[in-house]
Amino acid sequence: MVNSIKPKTAANSGLVNCRVCHQLAPITTTHCQRCSTALSSRVKNSVQISLSLLVTSILLYIPANIYPIMSTELLGKTTESTIIGGIILFLEHGSYFIAVVILIASVIVPIAKMFALAWLCYCATRADDIKQYELTKLYRVTEFIGKWSMVDVFVVSILVALIQLGEIMSIKVGFAATAFAAVVIMTMISAHQFDTRILWDKVD
Amino acid sequence: MNKAQLHLHACLECDLLIDMPDVISHRTNVHCPRCNHSIAMGHNNAKQYVLAMSFTALILMVIACTFSFISFSSNEQIRTINLLQTFTELYTQEYYFVAVLVFSFILLLPTLYLTSVCLIILSTYRNFEILPSVWLGKLMSYILPWSMAEVFLIGVLVALIKMTSMADISLESSFWAYVIFAPLFTHIVSVIDSHRLWDWIEQARASPHG
Repeated sequence: MVNSIKPKTAANSGLVNCRVCHQLAPITTTHCQRCSTALSSRVKNSVQISLSLLVTSILLYIPANIYPIMSTELLGKTTESTIIGGIILFLEHGSYFIAVVILIASVIVPIAKMFALAWLCYCATRADDIKQYELTKLYRVTEFIGKWSMVDVFVVSILVALIQLGEIMSIKVGFAATAFAAVVIMTMISAHQFDTRILWDKVD
Repeated sequence: MNKAQLHLHACLECDLLIDMPDVISHRTNVHCPRCNHSIAMGHNNAKQYVLAMSFTALILMVIACTFSFISFSSNEQIRTINLLQTFTELYTQEYYFVAVLVFSFILLLPTLYLTSVCLIILSTYRNFEILPSVWLGKLMSYILPWSMAEVFLIGVLVALIKMTSMADISLESSFWAYVIFAPLFTHIVSVIDSHRLWDWIEQARASPHG
């Protein structure tokens, strides 16, 4: 059904919504009266900022996978393991549960997130006929799963703290931990900068 | 700003204007009719409830930081760590960036969030603001996406499953405190919707400064 009446939004009613305290103000207001946050009807250059952070995170994802995330020293012998290498090691040892958790948290979630953000940015700028409701749902999932990728970094931090028995057995962090944490942060800011309202602005 | 605008609310995700009901009944959600974004949730005595829960969570956090977390023994060597060592060990290995992140995500930001909400609620009761409520409210909205207590809990569990095959693990009191803290924190966050939070801040500001 084609609805000829335009839905009443803040923007077309001459109002602007504060992103922090959710108070409405006349559209000409520059700063929120209640919390003095800078106001703008839509996040400025939202798609460009999202995309640039997305590219940064994709680039950081390369060292996160190439470099070892931790190195285990067992009786003087040092073995370094990458994220993928760790998952394969767990599969070989038969611990399928951890392998799946790490696989989901550090491989599937970040990659799915990157694709989702890229798709959202594409739909917001290029596509004409878009499904706003589904895309908003996709955005919510993207925002929700964001921080769960940090699981791997936390696992490493606990192992590193706990397993320090000198020569017998000790674990050291690798550079991939830094890179991977940066990937998670970049994708989180990227998702946060994306303004779903520009999707709904296409409703006529 | 006229009176009618006070009850208007613009959906954060699709910008649709919504007339907010005066009273939202207990445990019912107000959703945006267009994009289904959850805007507010009713609760009969949210203020007391959140204050009590936040105090509990803060006490649990203190317990989690004071006692030992997990101990690990292998070949008659025992190592016991406390919660703080999960990031101080990273710091000594010169991974400053990751150390600061872990510290903020699991400890600093959740604690700041809870302290802020306690201070805001207390200033609605008493006649003075210890710290400016508006400032605290802004702080809360900025730090909320970065509090990862529940993610850390899953991380701890994964690490435990990983280690049980290697050595004997025993869980200490601080671990149990964090196990209760993380779900409690998630629950508190789900009760504080921003609509209600800013109502409290308005109340705190309305009370005369003394």
